Amino acid sequence: MKRFRFYMVIILLAVMQIKGKAQDALSTIEQTIADIFEQYQQEVEEELDFNNFLEDLLFVAENPIDLNRATREELEKLPFLSDIQIENILYYLYQFGPMQTIYEMQLIEGLDMTDIRRMLPFVVVHSRKKENPKLYWHDFLNYGKNDLYIRLDRKLETNRGYLSISPENTSDVSSKPYLGDPFYNSIKYRYHFQDKIYLGFTTEKDPGEPFLDKIQTNYDFLSAYLQLNNIGKFKTIILGDFRANFGQGLVLRQEFSMGKSSYVMNVIPRGSGLKKYSSTDEYNFFRGLGTTLQLGKTEISAFYSNKQIDGDTVQGCFSSIYKTGYHRTSNEFNKKKTVNQQVVGGNLTYYFPHLQIGATVVHTLFNHFLEPEETTYNHFYFSGNQQTTGGINYRFLWKKLNFFGETALSNHFSWATLNGCFFSPFSLLDIVVLYRNYSPDYDMFYANAFSESTRINNEKGMYLGAELRPIKNWKFSAYADSYRFSWVKYRVDAPSFGNDYLLQVDFNPSRMVNMFWRLRYEEKQENLSQDTSIMSFVVPLKKASLRYQLNYAVGNFSFRTVLEGNLAQKSEEANWTYGLTAYQDLSYEFRSFPLRFDFRYQFFDATSYENRVYAYEKDVLYAFSIPMNYGLGSRYYLNLRYKFNHQLSCWLKFAQTVYADGRTTIGSGYELIQGNRKSDIRFLLHYKF
Amino acid sequence: MKKHLCLFFVLLSSPFVFSQISYIIPSSSSIANTSVSNTHEWTGFQNPAMLGYSENSEIGLQYENRFLLSQISTSSFQALIATPVVNTDISLSYFGYSLYHEIIGAVGFGRNFSDKFSLGLRFNYYTAYFSASNSYRGILFPHLGFSYRFTLNFSIGCSAFNPFQMNIKTETAEKQIPSVFSMGSEYYFTPELIWLTQLDKEISSNYRIATGFEYQMLKVLSVKIGAYTAGYLVPCLGIGLNFGNFKLDLNAELHPLLGLNSFVALRHSFRK
Repeated sequence: MKRFRFYMVIILLAVMQIKGKAQDALSTIEQTIADIFEQYQQEVEEELDFNNFLEDLLFVAENPIDLNRATREELEKLPFLSDIQIENILYYLYQFGPMQTIYEMQLIEGLDMTDIRRMLPFVVVHSRKKENPKLYWHDFLNYGKNDLYIRLDRKLETNRGYLSISPENTSDVSSKPYLGDPFYNSIKYRYHFQDKIYLGFTTEKDPGEPFLDKIQTNYDFLSAYLQLNNIGKFKTIILGDFRANFGQGLVLRQEFSMGKSSYVMNVIPRGSGLKKYSSTDEYNFFRGLGTTLQLGKTEISAFYSNKQIDGDTVQGCFSSIYKTGYHRTSNEFNKKKTVNQQVVGGNLTYYFPHLQIGATVVHTLFNHFLEPEETTYNHFYFSGNQQTTGGINYRFLWKKLNFFGETALSNHFSWATLNGCFFSPFSLLDIVVLYRNYSPDYDMFYANAFSESTRINNEKGMYLGAELRPIKNWKFSAYADSYRFSWVKYRVDAPSFGNDYLLQVDFNPSRMVNMFWRLRYEEKQENLSQDTSIMSFVVPLKKASLRYQLNYAVGNFSFRTVLEGNLAQKSEEANWTYGLTAYQDLSYEFRSFPLRFDFRYQFFDATSYENRVYAYEKDVLYAFSIPMNYGLGSRYYLNLRYKFNHQLSCWLKFAQTVYADGRTTIGSGYELIQGNRKSDIRFLLHYKF
Repeated sequence: MKKHLCLFFVLLSSPFVFSQISYIIPSSSSIANTSVSNTHEWTGFQNPAMLGYSENSEIGLQYENRFLLSQISTSSFQALIATPVVNTDISLSYFGYSLYHEIIGAVGFGRNFSDKFSLGLRFNYYTAYFSASNSYRGILFPHLGFSYRFTLNFSIGCSAFNPFQMNIKTETAEKQIPSVFSMGSEYYFTPELIWLTQLDKEISSNYRIATGFEYQMLKVLSVKIGAYTAGYLVPCLGIGLNFGNFKLDLNAELHPLLGLNSFVALRHSFRK
């Protein structure tokens, strides 16, 4: 019967001609980044680092996963697949054997056409196992792939930081707050041979940083790595810069950890182990060496890192780690590489048939004492020069229940635990439940797990997510998250709580048209701003937003129309304020000319900061922007990609925001710009050889 | 008899029911100025993507009277040249009186792609007379337009007039030129009855939400009814009269505070 269904599907699909295109990979990746990171960006102040996320997915697009031999680890590289869907794919292959064609994915439970279309650029089906021929050194030279990226950006307007402080002294360069010029520049070189060898270096200079002068004789940031995979018992050997990710992220996860997003089922982090670091974030990585050993069903990882980090060191102590990576002013330059950080750690994971269990330990040593300034909200922050943290993580499959979790202990027996379960009662419905409890005094430097806050401590909460596909072409996704902070937080001067709800309805009437409606409501507590009373008190901040997004394509044209509105209220007595944005995207790839362009025109009207709106923008390769807009104005960009030949291509982006709310300056401090326009131009040259 | 009665009643009421909007941009003949997604009718200075749907060349004149004051009226001339590759329009409008006036000249291009969607781009040259300097100052800016037809009955459209918020700066003052972002939809209940909706946001003004119905009552007569709000609810009425290759549109709106606005457009189509 199953085989009969299979042949019917093949015939139907042949008629329907669902077919993945190579360029779909980048579109799928961009849509995934927009879906996951737009919401996440709203919750965090700092810039997100998507580089590794994109690089991994582009690698998968170039080297698609063979579904017939796919492992859980490989399928986890596709962030739009939920854990239940991965289990279903593996179970299907176990039950029915290798797939005959990619279209057989239609028969897998829990995969709808949207999921399959997203997967198409990243998977293949081979009937025979690829032979592993013996490798010679000259193969690495002849068949390895090299990529060189050179990027140059600058803002067209002049920030206050580049102007002389005293007008009469304009010729004196030293009177300018920023020590360097306004250009951003980076060079990245990547080499890889299959999945066996990765080699690369990165150099970067941020705008305003000195470059090739007396103060800074080379690039401000330099990074390099060498990663070897599957050499005998060694699964991975890394030298240089790398990242480590284990368990649910309570002890160690330097890469992005899945959180709350419209992918409501994707709540646990993907990818585990040691991995090369190729991004430009100047803080969140290790520098040293590491290895993972595979001994049957046991994996053992160990690493050592020794690097200088930035801190405001005074008399052998520093109050905080300076993570932005900017060294533009004398003050910022004085913080550069003033603290030595040594980290040693390891992980042991054992794989049973239905159980995976692992233990992680990390020890950190600074050459100076970390002593945060004493305030109420950081009372429990880590202080000292040594920190040891250990944790045990597990995954356990029992019938239709898939349990996961991690529990960690750190200095002074501070602790954190996260536990949850995936459940699919029938193929149309998936459910996830997740409970987390992080004690206020748990403060691990490299923790990055599911949470409302960016810091993994002082939080207790329950998350419930569900995905329902009741009718063909329709999907309903929803989550409810309730959380509580038992100690005060930054800008919240009392124990507080909050609730967060999301409902998204996806409708895919055809291959060329899809749309969704997303409703979100969040209520949390914050200090009352402009509070003049001696005793500060917290008030509820309510925010509701509704977004409608329509994607459609005709031939080589693709379009996106988005309408989004939100309402916010700070304290019961205050009025509701509104935010609105609408934008139209247009992309076109010429058939007979190697040019592609993306154009957007966006209008925004957000009356206050609480109503700010975010919109993911297409950009030059490996550059990302999810600009935040509030006030009244418009924004537009034009992004061009031109391929000179198979090896050489270039990207150019121009973006401008124009405010119409009467403001005469934009930004603050040294980033202040005169006028009501803010323009950016970016250029990237990519050479493959 | 029915035809003559209809014409009589409509013509009787026409002096009271004309419409326009308050920007310097000349209005369209669509009811309540809901032209951004109106695929069956082209008007100069409106969504340039609509150029793409026109099959015939056209020429027209239109006049808008605001609140019965000739000094703040707009006159315009519009012409469309239809070709198999790209349609082009040329438009010219005059607003004001001898001591103060504003002129917009525009050349637009629009193309319909496989009858699924249409793209348009128009270049506007705006010039105004500044009495302080006794001179004209002008500026060139684009008007972008897009329309997508989901089904034969339903389409959407959007346009951005002066999207980059270009203004004229003189030594003493800065003249703001409207920057308008519009989105709307068109739905055919039947081939005779159309429902149009539109949302406009001029960057420094209130939102304008408009909707209207156009009903082709007879071959020679269509009746239009609609309303918009941008602070006040403004009812709009209009008629369209077809006489062979000529078409006459008469629209009106009654602002509760400022009074009556009226609009008349005469168009000639060169049918292939």
